[in-house]
Amino acid sequence: MPAEEMGKVTDRMRFVFAVSSLIFLAVLAISPFKDYRREWKQYKRSYLRFAQGRPDTKRLTADYSPDIDQIWLPGMNLVDRCTTCHQGITQASLADKSVPEPFRVHPPIPHNVREWGCTICHRGQGPATEVAEAHESTLAWEQPVLPTHFIQASCGTCHQSDLPQTPQLARGRQLLAELNCQGCHKMQGIDRPAMLGPDLSSIGTKVSREWIYKWLKEPRTIVDKDGNVTVNGYETQEEPRMPKFRLTETEIRALTAFLSVQKARPFAPYKISPAVVATWSKNPELISQGELRFRQMFCSTCHSLAVTRAGETKLIGGDIAPELTKVGSKVNPGWLIAWLRDPQAYLPHTRMPRYGWSDEDLYKVTQYVTTKLVDSDLLSGVPKLDAPADAEIQLGHRLFAEKGCASCHVIEGLNPQKDFGPDLSALGGKNASELEFGTAKIPHNLVSYIQAKLEDPVSVNPAARMPQYTWNQADLDAVTTALLSMKGAPATSALQNLVVPRKEASFRATGSFAEVYERYKCYTCHKFNGYGGDLAPDLTYEGSRAQRQWLVEFLKSPQTLRPTLILRMPQFNMSDKDAATLADYLSMVMQHPAVNPAGVDAKQFTPAMATLGKQLYEVKYQCQSCHTIGGSGGYVGPNLNNAGGWLTPAWIEAWLKNPQALVPDSMEPRRNFTDEEIKALTAYLMTLRAGIQPQKTASNTRALAWGHGAGK
Amino acid sequence: MRTHNFAIAALVAAAICGVTGCRKHAETAKSDPLLAAYDSEPDWNDSAKMIPLSYQQAQGKRVFYQYCVWCHADATPAGPSNRSNLTPVPPLLNDGATLNAESDEYLQNIITLGGSAMGKSAMMPPYGRALSAEEIRSVIAFTRAIAQPPYQPPGRPGSQYSAK
Repeated sequence: MPAEEMGKVTDRMRFVFAVSSLIFLAVLAISPFKDYRREWKQYKRSYLRFAQGRPDTKRLTADYSPDIDQIWLPGMNLVDRCTTCHQGITQASLADKSVPEPFRVHPPIPHNVREWGCTICHRGQGPATEVAEAHESTLAWEQPVLPTHFIQASCGTCHQSDLPQTPQLARGRQLLAELNCQGCHKMQGIDRPAMLGPDLSSIGTKVSREWIYKWLKEPRTIVDKDGNVTVNGYETQEEPRMPKFRLTETEIRALTAFLSVQKARPFAPYKISPAVVATWSKNPELISQGELRFRQMFCSTCHSLAVTRAGETKLIGGDIAPELTKVGSKVNPGWLIAWLRDPQAYLPHTRMPRYGWSDEDLYKVTQYVTTKLVDSDLLSGVPKLDAPADAEIQLGHRLFAEKGCASCHVIEGLNPQKDFGPDLSALGGKNASELEFGTAKIPHNLVSYIQAKLEDPVSVNPAARMPQYTWNQADLDAVTTALLSMKGAPATSALQNLVVPRKEASFRATGSFAEVYERYKCYTCHKFNGYGGDLAPDLTYEGSRAQRQWLVEFLKSPQTLRPTLILRMPQFNMSDKDAATLADYLSMVMQHPAVNPAGVDAKQFTPAMATLGKQLYEVKYQCQSCHTIGGSGGYVGPNLNNAGGWLTPAWIEAWLKNPQALVPDSMEPRRNFTDEEIKALTAYLMTLRAGIQPQKTASNTRALAWGHGAGK
Repeated sequence: MRTHNFAIAALVAAAICGVTGCRKHAETAKSDPLLAAYDSEPDWNDSAKMIPLSYQQAQGKRVFYQYCVWCHADATPAGPSNRSNLTPVPPLLNDGATLNAESDEYLQNIITLGGSAMGKSAMMPPYGRALSAEEIRSVIAFTRAIAQPPYQPPGRPGSQYSAK
């Protein structure tokens, strides 16, 4: 190679070298530039600029560091870097809406963020440092951030009993239990009761084949023009417990054939005394008398009737038991009489109490039911069904098992089904890739899946056996929340320790009380040591609260002065002996440990004390704003006309000292009374006597408050 | 020579692009209808209009419907309201014309200490020992949320600063 050419090449080489050096430099420079431009660093810087624009800069930037912040909780296996960008979550001054996210303060919650981290409630990928990776579902991480609308689900993962702060979750759990989801699915924290659907062993003795046909086709019978019904004045889409199954005509016919021949335990016909029938059958007031007795016995505390006023259909009455608007067209009249006299003979697990019927009442009420509570058009759409053929019965038998009917209904001689549907106890922690979306055009995430499945089970799985429910949006969201809370067994022992288990409520009645308690089904409405319904006052401390004589009188004739109460205690026609048994047991056993009857002696009260108490009541504390005495006053608290004949002085004193210690969620304000004032008020209340018995407030209705506007 | 330069320029561009540009940049959070739907309360004057509630306001709603609704609303979950029994008539909770003028501190005090402590009717009982301060603050937050006319917090308007 000539020398001059070598020089030329060298020049070219130099040029190439220079250019590649430049490229190399540029590439090297990109790296710090990229690092500078990282998403979280941008948030760090903008927080600093934001804080400097505010008057409390010093406090806002006290913990500031330019690096990644993280909450590391080794015990929970948790590394949350969320605070890298969400830097103001503990700064109380950043609560205002004008503060831009992600800097706003976390709303006040009972848990400390530093001790709990973020992802334990909000889910998402804690160690991620990019917005998308932290919040969304990625290939490597399928637990996206839980939408805040369902955040109560996270409370429910650990708190297995209901909290007052989480009404949506509580409603969802209640719906899951009420709609009998546990019939087919295993779910955490929702037990299988003794009876889900009615026992159908003798259904053939109760209703006709035509009625079964109608029921299987459309279990809802009371609808207004929009397809809605209202219960207790609140508009709800009250669902019959029985959901709608997608059944073909042949299947319905086969099932009706099979069910109409179920007559395992024929009822014993009861003959009403001919003297009663003779006296009343010609009486024009028979039906109106029957209706009156129906009302007086407060059947509507548990059962509802549809009432149409001004074109609007409402269900009036309770939802503990079936609505009865058309029951006269449903059941066999002979069966009705036998049922009313002894419901447990037909359905061993029914909550219907056994009333002490006189023949006269029984005749009047059954005549009322079979004449007035009827609808001649009820079975109008039903084709003529003949006596069932054997082939149809066989097919019906097979379908009864295949459709999962035996999950909720019992038929003698058929094995009950358990876990017919998938186990849902870990549904809330499932990844999207574990779910079957079918051809549904919905976002592939857990929330959309649950909602689509609930709204229309066929949309995500054409072969779904799950029946069809109708939901309003609030209930759908509540059930979704409850399902999202079920994340299965905790992954680590540290998480296991966080679980707040449900308080196991058990109450076992004993002795002669047990027999009466079981017969009248007291626990359907009342709570005893945490066990029982919440329709009526909790009786756990009733023995400390009420005087024995008052209890006896009340049980025999449960009158109330509360005009606003729809749901009242039924009249059981209780015998003296039963009333005495219940009153004795309540006053002996249902005692509050902090109320000492011996600590207050009613004899120490002087008229002067009572006069002072009256003044305190009327002037200083103005108790009349909520309590009624003698026809004037408010009706938020119970009527006190008969306080002296109703309450024990020890209870009044303890109550005035601290009402929430006796009834934790009582709305009675806890005041700062002096001991002297308490004595005076007690003395005054003990002087109040009247021959009428006051009732407790309808504290249960408070539960309905949620979700309904108070305004007009 | 020209082709060389061209090739080098292309190489540099490709390198820069390869290092920086080809990764998906995190977009601003899409508006998720589920995220936007907080708990809500219907406007008392127009039940078709729903007012979205924050966490604190929703907690206030819970407390309100347990303790306050009986006298501070015209209809209660149990039916008619106790409001008509009282003289002076207590304000409705959404009565912005009355309540907007009162500061948060004043409302906190009257709920905590009762009407008589603040020179008002003793019919308003003190709730400071039955409710926590946090619960009382949440009721006030709920009051502000449903007020008609709407409540305007006092003080300087919020910063217009935005993170992006």
